[in-house]
Amino acid sequence: MNFAQQALNGLILGHAFALIAIGWTVLLGTARLVNFAHGQMYMIGAFVAWFVMSAWGLPYLLAVPAAMLAGVIIGWIMQRTLLRLTIRQDLVSIMIVTLGFGHLLEGAAGLSFGSTGQILDTPLSLRDIYIGDLWITWQDVAIVVVTIVVFIALKLVLERTHLGRLVRMVAEDPKLALLAGVDVRRVYLGVFAFEGAAVALAAAVVAPRTPILTSMGFQEVIITFVVVVLGGIGSVTGSYLAGLGLGFFTAFFGAYVSQAYATAAMFGVLIVVLALRPGGLAARAGGR
Amino acid sequence: MSGPVLEAEGLEVRYGGNLALSVDRLAIAEGELVGVVGANGAGKSTLVNALAGWSRGEPKASGTVRLDGRDVSALRTPDRVKAGLLLIPESRLIFATLTVDENLAHAAHPRHAQGRRAWSTDEIFDLFPNLASRRGHLGGQLSGGERQMLGIARALRLAPRALMLDEPSIGLAPRLVSTVLETIRALVDDGLTVLLVEQNVKATIPVVDRLVLLERGRILAQGPTAQMQDDPRIAEAYLGGSA
Repeated sequence: MNFAQQALNGLILGHAFALIAIGWTVLLGTARLVNFAHGQMYMIGAFVAWFVMSAWGLPYLLAVPAAMLAGVIIGWIMQRTLLRLTIRQDLVSIMIVTLGFGHLLEGAAGLSFGSTGQILDTPLSLRDIYIGDLWITWQDVAIVVVTIVVFIALKLVLERTHLGRLVRMVAEDPKLALLAGVDVRRVYLGVFAFEGAAVALAAAVVAPRTPILTSMGFQEVIITFVVVVLGGIGSVTGSYLAGLGLGFFTAFFGAYVSQAYATAAMFGVLIVVLALRPGGLAARAGGR
Repeated sequence: MSGPVLEAEGLEVRYGGNLALSVDRLAIAEGELVGVVGANGAGKSTLVNALAGWSRGEPKASGTVRLDGRDVSALRTPDRVKAGLLLIPESRLIFATLTVDENLAHAAHPRHAQGRRAWSTDEIFDLFPNLASRRGHLGGQLSGGERQMLGIARALRLAPRALMLDEPSIGLAPRLVSTVLETIRALVDDGLTVLLVEQNVKATIPVVDRLVLLERGRILAQGPTAQMQDDPRIAEAYLGGSA
């Protein structure tokens, strides 16, 4: 029975990982950009949702878009600051600047929300579901449903819409996209804003599973990094599958080997996969 | 007669401290097909790139570019495209990961066309029947000739006022070179204004109205094709002394 519970945990954890990583997948696939403030943006999303609910007394359904709005604003400000570096694809400087942004966000969050841990309770996280001996919450169901909806919607937008075509054009060749009349700067801004919204959504949906701290974020960056690289940089489907695989791996490794070494084991898997398949499991340019 | 469709004055391009291009004046009239020829490194691509406000590197360009008398020098590349100044660059001219249909479903919508002619997909497929049977194929799956046709087709969908092509014959079989150049001639006969950069001078001469000879970033000579092909500098360097 423990096996079935761990499988269920892995399924939920995997969807959570995939949802946390989706913004970076698109960012990396489209703009060839990294954002090491991703984890702190996750933390801000969680705290904005918590603040809106606990301080303003607003319902969870309004806390989620409020967190996403905060993510959009942070993403937009970051990209405005990084635009010249983005156009020049100066990755080293972008890494340093985004790391710096992450620390700024952490400091600002510490000042605003304090340094003690908080619990982001939602109407869904307090309601249990029992199936025989198996136990989950409605929040876990929400994680799976929201992740699946976001991934399907993203795939449809990327593959079927004018906006998705613009993103794929910029992903393949931003210089040629300019000659097709595409305002590449706006696409970059949009992608960064999407990343902010997506990671904040992930925070509002996933963070109720654990206590939240303004010092958190590192674990989320590591998870995102592993999911994005394993999935094949820029591959939406690959990220989903990689998130799921990593979720199962973490759940079973934590249950049967050691919870303490789960992150180290994640990197072990990453190294082995990249040694065997340098492009990741499903490398495909253009964020599809 | 109205003024030139495309005009450059005092156009200079520098890479670092090196002057790569210095053109005092270049003007292309309505419905004219002007060929720019010159050796490798003469500045042909630099010229059309500067006119489009585009480059894969980071050059510094100065001078004035006018489209229908309007100064477009301060416009960024996408805005010049929307104004009708289009460039089909050398080699990478289509999106390889997009299908033919997606390549043709362009970014700058015809609402920017302001009375200019934006070709419909039906007109495109009449002009390039090969593409009609490849609509679902990815750009990367097309042959060199088909890519060139798709590159031109993409530009036509963007309602060009002036179209610039950088070495469209590169990498093509001789028979395809003639087909592509004749297609460009037909488009000009239909009213389009074209600036054509070519290294294949022999193939270019029969189709262009005027030739511009570039050397070391400067215009060495320019004039009607009939006159220019007798110019010894062109005859000796590009036509094997057979003028």
